[in-house]
Amino acid sequence: MNKLLALCFTTLLAGCGATTTIDEYRPNNQIMDIDSEQSVVILGRRDAGHYDTDREFIDCVAKKIKGADIDIFPEQQFVDAIYPWFEPRTAPKGLKRLTRLMQDPAIKQQIDRNGIRYLVWLDGSTETHDKGGSISCAIGPGGGGCFGFAQWEKSSIYEAIVWDLSNLTEKGRLRVDSTGTSYLLGVVAPIPLLTPVKNDACASLGTQLKQFFTLGETQ
Amino acid sequence: MLTTKIKLFSMLLAVVVISGCSSSAQVQIDSPFPTVVSKPKAVKAAIVFSDDFKAYVAAPNSRTSIDLGSAQTELLSNAFKGLFRDVEFVSAATDVTLENALVITPSVQEVQVSTPSDTYLNVYEVWIKYNLDIQTASGDQVDSWFMPAYGKTPDSFMLSKSNAIEEAAVIALRDAGAKLMLDFYRIPSVYNWLVREQLLDEEQ
Repeated sequence: MNKLLALCFTTLLAGCGATTTIDEYRPNNQIMDIDSEQSVVILGRRDAGHYDTDREFIDCVAKKIKGADIDIFPEQQFVDAIYPWFEPRTAPKGLKRLTRLMQDPAIKQQIDRNGIRYLVWLDGSTETHDKGGSISCAIGPGGGGCFGFAQWEKSSIYEAIVWDLSNLTEKGRLRVDSTGTSYLLGVVAPIPLLTPVKNDACASLGTQLKQFFTLGETQ
Repeated sequence: MLTTKIKLFSMLLAVVVISGCSSSAQVQIDSPFPTVVSKPKAVKAAIVFSDDFKAYVAAPNSRTSIDLGSAQTELLSNAFKGLFRDVEFVSAATDVTLENALVITPSVQEVQVSTPSDTYLNVYEVWIKYNLDIQTASGDQVDSWFMPAYGKTPDSFMLSKSNAIEEAAVIALRDAGAKLMLDFYRIPSVYNWLVREQLLDEEQ
């Protein structure tokens, strides 16, 4: 009986794993070199009406990349240093607009002064859908408890685009697509079995991006 | 005696809890704003910040007030310094000393706020509608330019109403600065005035 319960629990936990797919595109195999005085800035796209690329995700990806001794320039500090050209209304959406911006000596000077070599745009969000089941909790003089079962699916879809500010070219694109189902069991106490979809997307994207920047060392 | 004390304490506790659920918000914008990165054009301008504008407190609804005055004055001062090489800030149009200059009087037309309880969206939003009255130093009307600005919080998770509205208002003010920097010289009447006065740089 105990073995059966353990097996059921293991099966449930295994069901909480996220499925993550990463697509990578690079226009060429040139080494993305970066020296110790240069840094990378990771910016979130915030011009869409219905979602913002959340700062928590950007911080998470930045931490993953930082592990490779790459200096990450803080997002807000960059946006302030170059105000108002990277606000949601004014941020360049393509290289053509970035090239025009970089023709302004004041903007170019600020980028150079802060040693920004690469700019990584992150665009995406995590959404919850396909909610099902129900769980209810009650409390009374004799005690309380929950009963029921609920489940929901989360999907994290993010795209990263890497721009080289020294020659104003696109160095590559990454797209991560992570999905997973979470459960909440109400057996007297509520037991959450959560799938870390966003964490998985962040870890996968961060690891892959890190390889972009350390490719030169590994080759 | 003890029962009375317990009753009083319970009432006090209830009042504190209920007042904590109050949905009113008095917001003071304290965030500093960055200076703009821009090469100003060789144009002279006098900016009229009236006392009303400098002390403006928006009341988008009966339960919300946002003290925008000092923040919007600081932000627009920065933005105008990035647009014009010679700029003076005055309290009334009669105080302008610059010649052959634009005289710009900003004013707030309306401020709107929306909260998750209004829209069922997970964000707080702030709209600020500015109007820039643009004249020449000799008093000729150049334009009256409507300049809307918008800001929203990324989400409303763990944010108090005041903090959320402040965050959205700061983003809206930054958006106003961005809109001004991006579009001011694209206003057809301003562009035509610059052409007439031969004030455009050769690069344009």
